[in-house]
Amino acid sequence: MLRATDLGFAYDARQPVLAGVSLEVRAGALVGVLGPNGSGKTTLLRLLAGIRRPTSGTVTLDGRPLHGYSRRALAARMAVVPQETHLAFDYSVMEMVLMGRHPHLGVFEVEGPADLAVARDALAATSVAHLENRDFATLSGGEKQRVVIAAALAQATDVLLLDEPTSSLDLGAQLDIAQLLVDLNTTRGVTVVVSTHDLALASGICRELVLLRQGRVQAAGATAEVLTAEQVRALYDVDADVHVHPVTGHLSVVPLRRAAR
Amino acid sequence: MRQPRPSRRLVMAGLLACLAGTAVAGWSQPVATSGGGGAQNAPRRIISLVPALTEMLFAIGAGPQVVAVSSYDTYPAEAATRPRVGALLDPDVERVLSLTPDLVAIYGSQSDLRRQLERAAIPVYEYRHAALPDILLTIRDLGRVTGHAAGAEAVAAGIERDLAAVRARVGTRTPLRTVLVFGREPNALRNIYASGGLGFLHDMLVAAGGVNVFADLKQQSVQATTELLLTRAPDVILEVREGPAYSSAQVTQAVADWSRLASVPAVKNGRVHVVSGAGLVVPGPRVAGAVARLARALHPGAFTP
Amino acid sequence: MTTGVRRRMWTVLPLCAAGAVAAVVIAPTVGSTSISLTRAFDTSIPWADNVDAQIFFVARLPRVLAAAVVGATLAASGVVLQALLRNPLATPFTLGVSAGAALGAMIVIAAGLDVGALGVSTVPMASFAGSMGATAIVYWLARSQRRGLSTNVLLLAGVTLNAFFSALIMFVQYLADFTQSFRTLRWLMGDLDVGSYGPLVAAAPFVLLSFAVFAVLPRTLNLLTLGSDVAAARGVDVARAERLAFVSASLATGAAVSLAGPIGFIGIVVPHLVRLLVGADHRVVLPASAFFGAAFLIGCDLVSRTALAPLELPVGIVTAMIGGPFFLWQLVRHS
Repeated sequence: MLRATDLGFAYDARQPVLAGVSLEVRAGALVGVLGPNGSGKTTLLRLLAGIRRPTSGTVTLDGRPLHGYSRRALAARMAVVPQETHLAFDYSVMEMVLMGRHPHLGVFEVEGPADLAVARDALAATSVAHLENRDFATLSGGEKQRVVIAAALAQATDVLLLDEPTSSLDLGAQLDIAQLLVDLNTTRGVTVVVSTHDLALASGICRELVLLRQGRVQAAGATAEVLTAEQVRALYDVDADVHVHPVTGHLSVVPLRRAAR
Repeated sequence: MRQPRPSRRLVMAGLLACLAGTAVAGWSQPVATSGGGGAQNAPRRIISLVPALTEMLFAIGAGPQVVAVSSYDTYPAEAATRPRVGALLDPDVERVLSLTPDLVAIYGSQSDLRRQLERAAIPVYEYRHAALPDILLTIRDLGRVTGHAAGAEAVAAGIERDLAAVRARVGTRTPLRTVLVFGREPNALRNIYASGGLGFLHDMLVAAGGVNVFADLKQQSVQATTELLLTRAPDVILEVREGPAYSSAQVTQAVADWSRLASVPAVKNGRVHVVSGAGLVVPGPRVAGAVARLARALHPGAFTP
Repeated sequence: MTTGVRRRMWTVLPLCAAGAVAAVVIAPTVGSTSISLTRAFDTSIPWADNVDAQIFFVARLPRVLAAAVVGATLAASGVVLQALLRNPLATPFTLGVSAGAALGAMIVIAAGLDVGALGVSTVPMASFAGSMGATAIVYWLARSQRRGLSTNVLLLAGVTLNAFFSALIMFVQYLADFTQSFRTLRWLMGDLDVGSYGPLVAAAPFVLLSFAVFAVLPRTLNLLTLGSDVAAARGVDVARAERLAFVSASLATGAAVSLAGPIGFIGIVVPHLVRLLVGADHRVVLPASAFFGAAFLIGCDLVSRTALAPLELPVGIVTAMIGGPFFLWQLVRHS
């Protein structure tokens, strides 16, 4: 469905951020883009969402290059959840979520009852319906993230791209978001692409992984095949123990020590 | 820019300098410090930073003793030949000292300069701009200080005579309610500055046979809004333009600008006048001539022979 | 059930509009001189004899209309720039527009070029040219092929240009004589006594053009304030939207400043107050600020022409005396 072919991106020719990145996201997949800080995950997500144009290579959605879609058409197919949301102005939760309806509204059109219904549904799906009238700025980190996901849900897209959704959250909130993403993927059929450097999130929920190191794809494929001790060492310079966790049934990666050089 | 400016601006500068700084001190007498008086210790090297004082010095016969003048001095022509040493805001202290003066005429507000001159033991003549009577007092005082008392008396008496002549002509006429405008935006009725009830412009207007519509506003300059002018409804609008004389086209344009205020008697009766030229707003020896010109504009009938 | 914003648009906006209209209608009837309205509107009295009519139609009405236009324009521009820069403390003057306008006016006054042409003084034209020049410089500095306008660079360029132009202004003032300095100083304090409808007509095309752009911006502004990535992902052409916002706000501010000088505090006090009352949705905040700004400046102008009657207090001083304490109070409240 969403395919990247030989993607390259650079702000400055001497230091490319991404090079030769190819990957494919099938409909209904839950893909993780895993890599250390600075590996180019955010940039890759931006290119996949069509927010930036690559310096080389193409991204296609259903076989058509992204630049062949109008912005609104793209926005109706793909939604982005950024890493952090800092607001300069005090919007309410409902206002935030309703802003996700933008691609479906005409220039002067005001949100109607149908949009309101979609928004409420999105809030319910992310379990923050009770916060509808609160000011966004007064929420906790986890609540904020769920509201932002609700806004992306209200956009009613097939694809959801999230950039490090759990990096600034505490443990409980991390579990909530992880569970939410799985639910969205399995019950609503949303294709999820999530970038992270958190091994637990990657191994816990992603069925497929793309390992990104210094702007290049180190490995890509089913999690069970890709997430090995050798790959972890190559990616993070860390010796780790990778095994199937007896309770969760997922792969569990336990870091042991820095790798010997 | 230290080259000479059109005199209109320089005297506007002087006017507004006073408005900004010396409104309160406006009525005090001009003050001279030590030195001066008597022909034997009369100053031989005089520097004047005040255009009005420069004119007075040359008029009373002290011209030969004047060695330097202000940046804005253009009258009389002889004054323009002297070297320049700055003015109110930018006096060139080094230049002044290097010319070894024995009397320097400065503005009352130039306290820094005064202190420096006192430290150098140079006598200072402080000028505080004021009203019409003070011009005569200053001329006579300058005469005493520079050893030209006779010349000063002649000049002062001449001014008094000329003013009396004007008074004789217009004294029998009913004074006209006038607004004396000395500045505004070109081609527009914005930023209109008129004489208030204080200061020598006001005195000149009264001497010329007019009543200042802003006489109740005790300040030298009033920014008149269109509403204020419509309310005060002057019988005459007198625009004073210091500088090059206006061409008849310029006068027509200036008068036409006022036509917007159709209900003002001055506009209705065609009593909008522009008096332009040099020496109109200098509180110095040419004041009688200026008053005469204002009087002619106000009461033309009094001047037909 | 209708959404909150629709409800607010239908209640708040008509109220604000009514307030602005009321201000425009009532303000010319009040002033330092009392006039008789019946006489003013009595068409049987010849124009040249009707002082009340002249005070109403020549002295006060153009002034009130100028206050309405300038107030609405500065308030709306403030809203747009605050959204563009994602900062509620941005003002229409943050990006160098007013410094450019002041420099333009000052140069013309100091060089003695203010003689007027075609019956119009050159100072407003020069100040407009100066403001557009500053806008162009800031825009050129901040644009980049890849990403449209970089708002960080925009802010830095604007602040730097303000400082640089202020230094130039001081330099020109130093070279100019006292009269010219005084005139510029007075211009900087704001003056709504336009004296005729000509300046309003001259400013009208630019103001209308800007407001036409403002009309399509509000929802886009909402999205822009969330961040350019999110906005882009929701279908906003971020580069184009930022360009439109910047150019229209600068054009509007330049026109307002050329009409009445740089009157401060409206572009920040009014949007702030309006947000306190109606929330942050720009679809309500932008039009409400325009109406409120018009009424606010009409009110300030009323104070400026009656407080020291028969003399006038420059209107920029009135807005500063209201705006300054307002912000101190806000600061104390929130700390």
